[in-house]
Amino acid sequence: MTTALTLTHGRRPDGTGLVTAVGEIDMSNAGELAAALATTAGPLVLDLTGVDYLDSAGLSVLFPHAERLQLVTNPLLDPVLTISGLSDLTTVHGG
Amino acid sequence: MTRSEDAEPEATAAAGSDVFGADTEIGRDLALVDWAATTPLGDPEGWPQSLRTTVSILLSSKFSMWMAWGPELTFFCNAAYRRDTLGRKYPWALGRPASQVWAEIWSDISPRIDTVLTTGEATWDQALLLFVERSGYLEESYHTFSYSPLRDDAGLVVGMLCVVSEETERVIGERRMATLRDLGSDPSVVRTEQEMLDFACVQLSRNPHDLPFTLTYLFQDDGSAALAAVTGLDDGHPAAEKLLPAGSETVWPTGAPARGETVLTPLDGATFADLPTGEWAEAPFQAMVVPLRQQGGAPYGFMVVGLNRYRDLDDGYRGFVELVAGHVATGVASARSYQAQQRRAEELAELDRAKTTFFSNISHEFRTPLTLIMGPVEELRHRLTDEAARAELEVIHRNGLRLGKLVNTLLDFSRIEAGRMQAQYEPVDLAAVTGELASVFRSAVDRAGLDFRVVCPPLPEPVFVDRSMWEKVVLNLLSNALKFTFDGSIRVAVGIEDGMAVVTVDDTGIGVAAQEMPRLFERFHRIENARSRSNEGSGIGLALVKELVGLHGGDIGATSAEGRGTSFTIRLPFGSAHLPADAVLAEAGPGSAAMADPFVQEALRWLPGEQSTTMPVPVGSDANASADGQDAGAEQAHVLVADDNADMREYLMRLLRGAGHRVSAVNDGRQALRAVRAQAFDLVISDVMMPHMDGLALVAALRADSRTASVPVLLLSARAGQEASIEGLRAGADDYLVKPFAAAELLARVRANIELARLRSHHARWRTALVDSLQEAFFVCDEDGAVVEINTAFTDILGYGPEGLPYRPVHPWWPDATDSEAHQQVSDAFALLLGSTKGSYTIPITHRDGHRLWVTATFNQVDDPDTGRRVTVGTFRDVTAEHYAIQRESALAALGTCLARATSLPQALAGALDELKKIWRARWVMAAVFDHGDEPTLTSTDGTPRWAELPAGRRDTLNSLRQGPILTPAADPTGAGVLLEFPDGPLALWIDLGENRPFTGEDQLLLSLLAGHLAQGLHRAHQFDQQRETAIALQRAILGPAQLPDGFAVRYEPATQPLEVGGDWYDTVGLPDGRIGIVVGDCVGRGLEAASVMGQLRSACRALLLQDASPAQTLMALDQFAAGVPGAVCTTVFCGVLNADTGQLTYSSAGHPPGILVHPDGTTRLLEDGRSLPLAVRTGRQRPEGTCVIAARSTLLLYTDGLVERRRRPLSAGIDQASEALQDGRNTAVDELATDVMSKLAPVGGYDDDVALLLYRHPAPLEMTFPAESSQLAPVRKSLRSWLDQCDLPPTTVQNVLVAAGEACANAIEHGHRDTPGETIHFRAEAYVDNLRLTIADTGRWKAPEPELNTHRGRGMRLMRALMQHVTVTPGPSGTTVDMHTRIV
Repeated sequence: MTTALTLTHGRRPDGTGLVTAVGEIDMSNAGELAAALATTAGPLVLDLTGVDYLDSAGLSVLFPHAERLQLVTNPLLDPVLTISGLSDLTTVHGG
Repeated sequence: MTRSEDAEPEATAAAGSDVFGADTEIGRDLALVDWAATTPLGDPEGWPQSLRTTVSILLSSKFSMWMAWGPELTFFCNAAYRRDTLGRKYPWALGRPASQVWAEIWSDISPRIDTVLTTGEATWDQALLLFVERSGYLEESYHTFSYSPLRDDAGLVVGMLCVVSEETERVIGERRMATLRDLGSDPSVVRTEQEMLDFACVQLSRNPHDLPFTLTYLFQDDGSAALAAVTGLDDGHPAAEKLLPAGSETVWPTGAPARGETVLTPLDGATFADLPTGEWAEAPFQAMVVPLRQQGGAPYGFMVVGLNRYRDLDDGYRGFVELVAGHVATGVASARSYQAQQRRAEELAELDRAKTTFFSNISHEFRTPLTLIMGPVEELRHRLTDEAARAELEVIHRNGLRLGKLVNTLLDFSRIEAGRMQAQYEPVDLAAVTGELASVFRSAVDRAGLDFRVVCPPLPEPVFVDRSMWEKVVLNLLSNALKFTFDGSIRVAVGIEDGMAVVTVDDTGIGVAAQEMPRLFERFHRIENARSRSNEGSGIGLALVKELVGLHGGDIGATSAEGRGTSFTIRLPFGSAHLPADAVLAEAGPGSAAMADPFVQEALRWLPGEQSTTMPVPVGSDANASADGQDAGAEQAHVLVADDNADMREYLMRLLRGAGHRVSAVNDGRQALRAVRAQAFDLVISDVMMPHMDGLALVAALRADSRTASVPVLLLSARAGQEASIEGLRAGADDYLVKPFAAAELLARVRANIELARLRSHHARWRTALVDSLQEAFFVCDEDGAVVEINTAFTDILGYGPEGLPYRPVHPWWPDATDSEAHQQVSDAFALLLGSTKGSYTIPITHRDGHRLWVTATFNQVDDPDTGRRVTVGTFRDVTAEHYAIQRESALAALGTCLARATSLPQALAGALDELKKIWRARWVMAAVFDHGDEPTLTSTDGTPRWAELPAGRRDTLNSLRQGPILTPAADPTGAGVLLEFPDGPLALWIDLGENRPFTGEDQLLLSLLAGHLAQGLHRAHQFDQQRETAIALQRAILGPAQLPDGFAVRYEPATQPLEVGGDWYDTVGLPDGRIGIVVGDCVGRGLEAASVMGQLRSACRALLLQDASPAQTLMALDQFAAGVPGAVCTTVFCGVLNADTGQLTYSSAGHPPGILVHPDGTTRLLEDGRSLPLAVRTGRQRPEGTCVIAARSTLLLYTDGLVERRRRPLSAGIDQASEALQDGRNTAVDELATDVMSKLAPVGGYDDDVALLLYRHPAPLEMTFPAESSQLAPVRKSLRSWLDQCDLPPTTVQNVLVAAGEACANAIEHGHRDTPGETIHFRAEAYVDNLRLTIADTGRWKAPEPELNTHRGRGMRLMRALMQHVTVTPGPSGTTVDMHTRIV
């Protein structure tokens, strides 16, 4: 059984691609996130406000897309993003 | 060296069929008993260790012992007991109930046995009278014995051991001795027959044991036997027939005793119907008829002795009766002899009176025959040429002269007394006459080597003297001077003084003591003990001189200085006016010294040179005396003659030899004494008056020395009269004969005295028999402590015989000076003996063969009746057996106490070694237990040495002990050792006594006994240890729930005393609704009983909780339950129900100490609500409940009072201490914390009450095990998140922990189990008060990091380290463990 994660594709009002994730991201479902990111191209906003667990497996999916990602997060994820250095590579917006 | 493996089969054999191996003979008979079929003890293979050990000790002991074991008190005994006591009951008695074996004395001994069995205390009886039937008849016997309890392996008394020493011989011997001693205690030897018999009867009637009755018959002249004395029987009894006609055989046989034969006669028939029983229940059934034997004659009579039916008529009994009869016979003999002597003394006195009259009347009649003898003798002297005949004639001549002189002197006195002295005073030139008389003596004085000065200048006028009288005066004085002067000179002088003629005779002789001077001239007075050339003399010389001088109207005086000389001065008036006119002659007649010859002749006989032909026969050179032509018959006696008169000596020798005796002769008392001391004589004939030592002194000296005291002495003296004879007899002479005597009378006296001596030696033999029959060693000591006499028992007991007498101190039986303590004891005792008049003490002494004895010495100072000197008589009683029995009992008791006190095997062993050290006052005692391999475990009173450090010699000793048989002591000069069985292996014990302390046979015996007890005691201690361990294991087994719920820790600690396992418990119960029941309780009491109550209460409580999860309800129901369980009342219980999720706790306390709750902030709360009485104190009463919430990271402590209760300290102090310990352990896991609390609160020396403890920290740690699959990550995370919520943590901390844990789990899944998916991962999270710990363990191996391929894995590790305070990854062969901590802020 994989960890519960819902990924929703959409567009921001400015036309930027938007993926909204809700649930937890660990090694059991990081592949789903990777697949979802791969279907998009160009700048992308990833909304992680509804994610209450993210570990290195999820981070590994995000780092390859760091150049084009803008992250919208919640405070629970701050330590992980900061420690991993991802917040230095991407724009992180508080949720 | 034997390896331990090899030793094992031997040990098995020794413990199995070899139970009886310690004694082959008794053991064989014991082995023949069908134990399984006939005794409740069953087959020996199955006997408990304690029984085996006891039987082994019993059989190996040389002490007489028996034992009884088991419900029927089955009988065992050893060889010594069989020999001494059991008699014909062997081997029948083996394996039988003791009550059968000793049925006849069961009523006497069973109360004692009961005492031992019920109280466990030993009994001690000394010389108890028991009637045993072991030789075919009921027998009087005496036993000193101790019953001590025997215990089985569990320590219960199941039998008794009896150590016996039979004392029958001693008790009966002492009783008989007392009778013999009392019989001999009659102070007056001579008395009438009836008085003697009366006295004897009193003494005989005091021993109704051995002499139930006695009858003494004396034969009359007509051959009939008259009853003379009776004891124990009424005069009127038909058995006490007054007169038995000659030859009568009715009532008592008279024929046999008349022939000197002893007969036994049965006591049946009407005559003996009502015999008295003496001291016993039944009358004698036989009597012994013993003759009263007379030395060399027909018996005086006989004695009938009724015999004690409870003793065999053995040699001892028979001998005793004979000795009693012998004493009575001797008494009869001496009474009759005394009467005869008395008659003789009266006759002698009468004879003496007649003799005196005769002499005084007819002395003058002697002169004619004397003259008629002397004349022809004188003629023959000149005519005979035969030398031998001339020598004989010389003797006749000399003694004729002497006799004539004596007769003349006596006649002179008679005349003087009768006033018929026919004096003729003629005027003489006194100087010339005196000088002439003096010159007659010159040759004799010269031969004596003395200077002789005669100063006789002519006087101016004549002096009127009777010439013959004057001769007597001068010659007597000169003779006297010569007799008493040994050096210097004799001076005779004549002169004038104050108008009187003065004649002086001076000598430089021995002088006369001042006190004797007044009696110097007394008639018949002799100065006793004066040293003189001869003791011949009548004592009338000076008296006659005085009378004669008086007749001349003059006087005589004497001055003397003792040792310097004597001077006699005679004063005679000139003229004749003072003399009777009719007796005065005007002219002097022709003078001659006709009288001088006898005086000079006599004087010459005193001097050396004149005796050459009559030298005394030297003692010892007379061995062929019987070659005188006489038969050396059985009657021949060896007689010593002591007389200073050579003629008398020779005469006596001739006479005695003629009568067939062997004779030796000496010429004074001193020589006689030497002779008698050197050689045995049957009789000494001594003159009373002798130089150097007179006859009386000789007798006294002989009597003073026990070796010569019994030599008979016949005194000869010229002094007649009863007074003189009594003086002689009083001095101890056996007879007294006055000179002159008839040859026939002398020989008759000699014969009588030799016979009397034989009678006396019978006395002496009787005394010797008496002393020798003493079973105790008897001795006589002189004033200096030298032992001068001993009996046979003395030799038997000490090994020193009479040949070594006298034994002077230090006596050879004193313990060696190297054994200083024993030596000192004896030395002190000896000082007591010399310094006191009586006393008693027990001392160690050494037998001649070197073995140690203990004796009780009893002594009395008495005056020796023979010599009047103070001597000490004493006895040694051999108390070695008693001494060692007491020592053994006390040593066993001490060892028993020490073993009973010990609470563990090592303690028991150490205590026992100390005890052994004390018993032998040893330097040290060591035990080597060969428990494994060759290197034994050592225990010593001297610290705990190591095997390798011991001297090689000591190691060898211990090793060789180990190879020897068990319980068999081995000794060397430094100490002794023994091997015994010990639970861990053979134990070699060594006692070091230091140098030169003897380890005696008794010591060895004691050691083997103690070793046996020790082995048994250690075995028991070992069982004790095992039982305790079992009990504790049992307790823990009851207590420990198989699975404690998470978060809990429990402890149970028994008190340190042995078996003080008891009533404390804890319990946790998983309830159906998921909550947890918690119980801690404490039953009253200790031991297995309390443990059993606890078990029941615990189970009940558990069941009740499962039924109704309300603590109050549970306890109320438990009240009901406890009321029905003995010992359950007053149990205290804390009962709670915990919701582990919320920390909600509901509880109720039945008198139990409050639980302690410590919050994370350090504050403490006591759970004091819901408190009520202990269980079952008020059954049915409502119990309250309390509730509380156990906040996150709080710790709850429940306990029993043993944890906190201390003497002289309030409970609150203990509770505070416990709270503190909990606070100190805020970051310690509960299990570790439980250990810490137990050890921190433990008093010095351990808990003296048992303690149960239960700890809970909320929340309980989270533990999960899941398969290594990524799909598990979400549920694991969910559980963790929920647990973290219970821990009451900040949200950030929760998230950090979640991510770190997630990374660790992902690592484990990804790396650890990449190749073997499906392996499990173990996850644990535990919260401390301000700390959190996570452990994730897998069973795989992580690959070495490859960062370029696994950048995100490296990232995961970085995250873990960043999010947690400490991360440790420990790879191992069986998996990898990640350990992470974070502080709770």
